[in-house]
Amino acid sequence: MINAPHSRVLCDMIKHAVDTPDKVALVEGTECVTYSQLLARIQAAAIYLQSLGLHAGDHILLAAQKELEFVYLYFAAHSIGVVNVVVDEASPRDRLDYIASVVHPVVTFGNNLVVDGYRSVSFSDIVLNGNGCELLRTTDMQPTDVADVMFTTGTTGAPKGVCLSHANIAGSASNTNGFIGTCADDVEALALPLSHSFGLGRLRCVLTAGATLVLVGNFANLKSFFAVMETEGVTGFGMVPAVWQYIKRLSGKRIAKFANQLRYIEIGSAAMPIEDKQLLMELFPTTRLCMHYGLTEASRAMFTEFHTDAGVLNSIGRPASSLVQVCVLDEDGTPVDDGVDGEICVRGNMVCRSYFLPQDNVGAFHGGDWFRTGDWGHRASNGLFYLTGRKKELINVGGEKVSPSAIEDALLTLDCIADCACVAVPDPRGVLGEVPKAYLVKSGESAPDFAEIKARLTCLLPPHEIPVLWEWTDSIPRTASGKIQRLKLKS
Amino acid sequence: MESRVKAIIARVLNVDPAQITDELSSGDIPEWDSVGNLAIISTIEQELDLEFPLEDLFDLTSVRSLVDEVNKLTND
Repeated sequence: MINAPHSRVLCDMIKHAVDTPDKVALVEGTECVTYSQLLARIQAAAIYLQSLGLHAGDHILLAAQKELEFVYLYFAAHSIGVVNVVVDEASPRDRLDYIASVVHPVVTFGNNLVVDGYRSVSFSDIVLNGNGCELLRTTDMQPTDVADVMFTTGTTGAPKGVCLSHANIAGSASNTNGFIGTCADDVEALALPLSHSFGLGRLRCVLTAGATLVLVGNFANLKSFFAVMETEGVTGFGMVPAVWQYIKRLSGKRIAKFANQLRYIEIGSAAMPIEDKQLLMELFPTTRLCMHYGLTEASRAMFTEFHTDAGVLNSIGRPASSLVQVCVLDEDGTPVDDGVDGEICVRGNMVCRSYFLPQDNVGAFHGGDWFRTGDWGHRASNGLFYLTGRKKELINVGGEKVSPSAIEDALLTLDCIADCACVAVPDPRGVLGEVPKAYLVKSGESAPDFAEIKARLTCLLPPHEIPVLWEWTDSIPRTASGKIQRLKLKS
Repeated sequence: MESRVKAIIARVLNVDPAQITDELSSGDIPEWDSVGNLAIISTIEQELDLEFPLEDLFDLTSVRSLVDEVNKLTND
């Protein structure tokens, strides 16, 4: 059996394999995996990784597919100290190339994850039979060692690698389960992408709790999702606010038929309109409706539960546990009084220690360990926190963070555009929360229409980064130093 | 009408039209996610000047069901 004292998540899973070996841990399609089978396969995957020559401290690129092989490899890497760099296989080629050039993975794993210059292995080629080999023991691993590097959208366009330790991911799972109340009796449907902190966190929360996780492709086919809820007896799931808009739009109130079986719904990654929170409360009167505030760097820093906090639904909540501290600091890092806006800063067991590249750490923390979220807000006298704005200029498209400068860089490669700026605007369809709007300055007398510009962007940007609204303008407002004044465009 | 609906789906999802078979359903390919599904619905409504009844949207999960629904609405 695996021995991984550095990883509390794995220790919890090992305990479940011993205490409840026949309990189903994972369901994918028609295949069920018990906790004892799960740990055996993780061990076989660890032997397999070692057979490829991987050692503690090496990095692997792991495509976040909703497949059992992903789960085995992910935890196998943790068990032997190999660092996971979890990526979305469908990411633009230049993003994957950039990530590989930063972390230098020894191997990439996926269904179709090939990065030039790096060895790649397809999930379908992985043989997890242990090959008659013993797991080689590595003894010098610590909870503070890096377990995962998650790449997030940087404000300047280049993704930033967030280094999360074994202690960080265990802390986040324990804080989250403590607040939501996920327990061994639960069956959760996971339709969120595993390439994001939210979805990957749900995987760890469920397996840490000894519950059952049903892997579901995504929310696109609601009929299939509802069928899974029914046949598997699902008691909880996670969603972003854009998914709730989607569920409402396509299925009306059909989902309320599951109100009696759903014990919890976790919501996060973007703001949710108060009327949606109220509708959820009406449809799910006894379900814990838990909304987190957090970032990849500080996963699930705060929580609010709609029924408990019915009178303060505009709040982002309170620290997730007694091991999390939140404060509001001014530009110099000095605490401000309750009610006064400043930057929301977080420290605690789940907060990353650093970014992968030293230059990304400049200005990331106040006073050593207070992570600066880039969000503006205040703490009220009731101890709850409220968001009032965002310092970082990212656009939150249905939970996907988009850098306006990445869109601008793509636009400026088109010869018809002399200058441009992108800002966040409310989604006119009322689904995604925010979408990008592009302001363009022509480079000549005539210019193509927006449809043509949009078509030319499709090979440069992923679909969610392509502006939804467009406007020609004579000039882009800039500061004396040349920085775009986005607020002037928004007003 | 069938070819028009299929062409819209392929264009909205930015995939090879050969992929748009009758059996293809939402969620089957990464491009046909929830956002892609909404884009398909709104683009068909806009370009074919029709409106899917709310009570039918839940069942429009495959290329075939979308084609059949459009045929039904345009023949009514």
